[in-house]
Amino acid sequence: MLKFYQNLSVITATFLVVMAALLMPAAAQKKGGTMVMIVQPEPPTLASYLSTSGPIGQVAAKVYDGLLEYDMDMQPQPSLAESWNLAADGKTLTFKLRKGVIFHDGKPLTSADVQFSIMKVAKVTHPRGPNTFRSVTAVETPDPYTVILKLDQAAPYMMMAFSGYETPILPKHIFANGDLRAHPNANKPIGSGPFKFTEWKKGAYIRLDKNENYWKKGQPYLDRIVARFISDPSTRTAALEKGEAHFAAMGAVPFNDAKRLSASKNVTITTRGHELISPVAELLLNTRRAPLNNVSVRKAIAYAIDRKFVIDNIWFGYGKPATGPMSSNFAPSGLYTDKVTQYQVSDGIARANKLLDEAGFKKKADGFRFELMHDSLPYGQEWTRFGEYIAQALGKIGIKVNIRQEDVARWLKRTYTDNDFDTTANYLYNLSDPVVGVHRAISAKAIKKGRVFSNGSGWSNKRVDELFDKATVEPDLAKRGEYYAEALKIAADNIPIIWTHEMNFPTAINKKFKDVIVSPLGVYSNFDRVYTE
Amino acid sequence: MKTFWQRFLTNPRVVCGLIWLGLVTILAIFAPLLAPSDPFAIVAEPFKTPFSEYVFGTDSLGRDMWAGLVHGARTSLLIALIATVSAVAFGTMVGGIAGYYGGFIDDILMRMTEFFQTIPSFIFAIVLVAILTPSATSIIIAIAIVSWPPIARIVRGEVLSVKGREFVQAAIIAGQSDSGILLKQVLPNTLSPLIVTGSLLVATAILVESALSFLGLGAPNLMSWGFMVGSGRSFLRDAWWLVAIPGVAILLTVLSINLVGEGLNDALNPRLRDL
Repeated sequence: MLKFYQNLSVITATFLVVMAALLMPAAAQKKGGTMVMIVQPEPPTLASYLSTSGPIGQVAAKVYDGLLEYDMDMQPQPSLAESWNLAADGKTLTFKLRKGVIFHDGKPLTSADVQFSIMKVAKVTHPRGPNTFRSVTAVETPDPYTVILKLDQAAPYMMMAFSGYETPILPKHIFANGDLRAHPNANKPIGSGPFKFTEWKKGAYIRLDKNENYWKKGQPYLDRIVARFISDPSTRTAALEKGEAHFAAMGAVPFNDAKRLSASKNVTITTRGHELISPVAELLLNTRRAPLNNVSVRKAIAYAIDRKFVIDNIWFGYGKPATGPMSSNFAPSGLYTDKVTQYQVSDGIARANKLLDEAGFKKKADGFRFELMHDSLPYGQEWTRFGEYIAQALGKIGIKVNIRQEDVARWLKRTYTDNDFDTTANYLYNLSDPVVGVHRAISAKAIKKGRVFSNGSGWSNKRVDELFDKATVEPDLAKRGEYYAEALKIAADNIPIIWTHEMNFPTAINKKFKDVIVSPLGVYSNFDRVYTE
Repeated sequence: MKTFWQRFLTNPRVVCGLIWLGLVTILAIFAPLLAPSDPFAIVAEPFKTPFSEYVFGTDSLGRDMWAGLVHGARTSLLIALIATVSAVAFGTMVGGIAGYYGGFIDDILMRMTEFFQTIPSFIFAIVLVAILTPSATSIIIAIAIVSWPPIARIVRGEVLSVKGREFVQAAIIAGQSDSGILLKQVLPNTLSPLIVTGSLLVATAILVESALSFLGLGAPNLMSWGFMVGSGRSFLRDAWWLVAIPGVAILLTVLSINLVGEGLNDALNPRLRDL
């Protein structure tokens, strides 16, 4: 009997050794490799704490860590913070920092860096930070590994804003010296992330190399990430097809080429990794002007637009009809509702004509009721074609639409400063929480001349503002959901903006690369888990 | 000695050019009859191949390519003609005055002409259209502004050579006014080089208009060939006809105008006569 156990233990030991031998190379195989990602366009800077322009975050998020990460279920996960605790009243948030984390220059990361990054950076220079952290009155640092955020009122939405993309943790000993808005390290970033900044060859590429001292042992797996800039869409597609580039996201993949790419043997296409971005496309109506100040006219326009046509033929299937300013990505948290007035109906044209007739806008001899000017969004050919479609769709209900095409600077000024337009288009990111991404579309507070990507239609409603204020401080998700349900219903009934669709961006990934999109931030995450086969 | 028309119309290249131009002109004039629907109207599924239900297929939004082609002919020709006429009129005025009066006025006008000539013309046109915001008017203005200087120089040269001739001197002695002499005696003699240059200018104008539209600076509410090429460009690998059909139309038209222009030059140029 003893012998049997001896044999068993020998067999077991042998088995374990063999298993280990089998597993070892598998683990070792993960190491190494260079990923070429296409970043479009070239970022103007790498200061993700100064600008939220897309390409900046795609590169900088690999260099700067955040306190937290988020998994695909939108749940916070430890990163620089090993654990955290939100007090019952929602007014004290305590982070316990990981020990032994060092910046790329070899200095340790402590609570002082976090305090600096929130109070002096995020709250001051970040475009969205002052809003996100407006309730934070102080950051206390009782010891080098404890950070306590003091809030004057609960801010439940803040829990989703601690990623390295949204709130990067900067080394205080570097960035506290000199003017943060013009710091020499803006374009030579030093963080604690899995990749170190090495080189920026303007007009060509940015090179990031593996951080050998990263706090996640054995990670990152890749040796290098090269961010390349290729301005011509067809050349980008060709580079991905040939395997010269391995990754492209957020509009770097031309929508009309996504299908071709997905058929290519080198590339897979995914639409995941936008769950914390959630862009919603909108036809913006200037409600300050007649006849768009008339709700019947706005409803008629909403009925006249075929969202399915827009998604299928302009964005080549990448999208989903929207029901309001909020993306259905907030459905799991209970904040989203689609129980609002639906404008995507089969007899839309008839309803629209009826509404306009009843509102007193009769068709004249030339078949038109009135004219509108549509300013095409100067962000690429999809938006030009969207404008051309809008002109045709509204033509069907007797609204003559002329199109104007201006450059980005003039379009921004016309839309958000001068408010000198009839209709235009845009898309707003919903981001981590409606407080950050939805309120700005329709709240009265967001009607500010010169503030871009805010409430451009000029419409507001007292009750909606009240509900938004309540939802901002309410920690209970179910209650927040009720507030939003009412607000979204009012918005849909007044339809100051026609939310056409939730945009889905195709992300192209070379098949050799695994675990690329593992976060709802997608391309804006740190890629420490990416490996090659 | 052969007459002008004999020399002109027996040139086979001219005949080829004229046949195509005649065809395009017919398309342009009768566009509303040949394609009654709005060229921007979405009539069918996008990307229908040519020679199916629609003879030239449909584009990326499901617009009829045939309607685009005939209405585009109208826009492209009209813009090119108006721009050319404006450029020729302005250039002739500047060149005529400069050559006829000479001296200080000549200096000033010619330095101004050279100033415009030294600016790279296409980039200048892009800047002008971008500043004025794209529309038919701004495109015509831009093309005319970049096209008039060569006309002015040609006219000035011709005026200088004609000015000293006896019939002009006679007119001066007879007491005709300056404008009368310039319009009735001098300019008619500059006509032949003007016609040749002007006709070639139409071809350039069509190309400039197409290039502007291709770059997204076309008139957004007017269907033109350049607009069709520009909006079809990104689909070249999947739907070749979006670019090929208007592209071939532009190519043939510009080629035809050049052939006719060369033919005019051969027939009008006295040095080539009876060779």
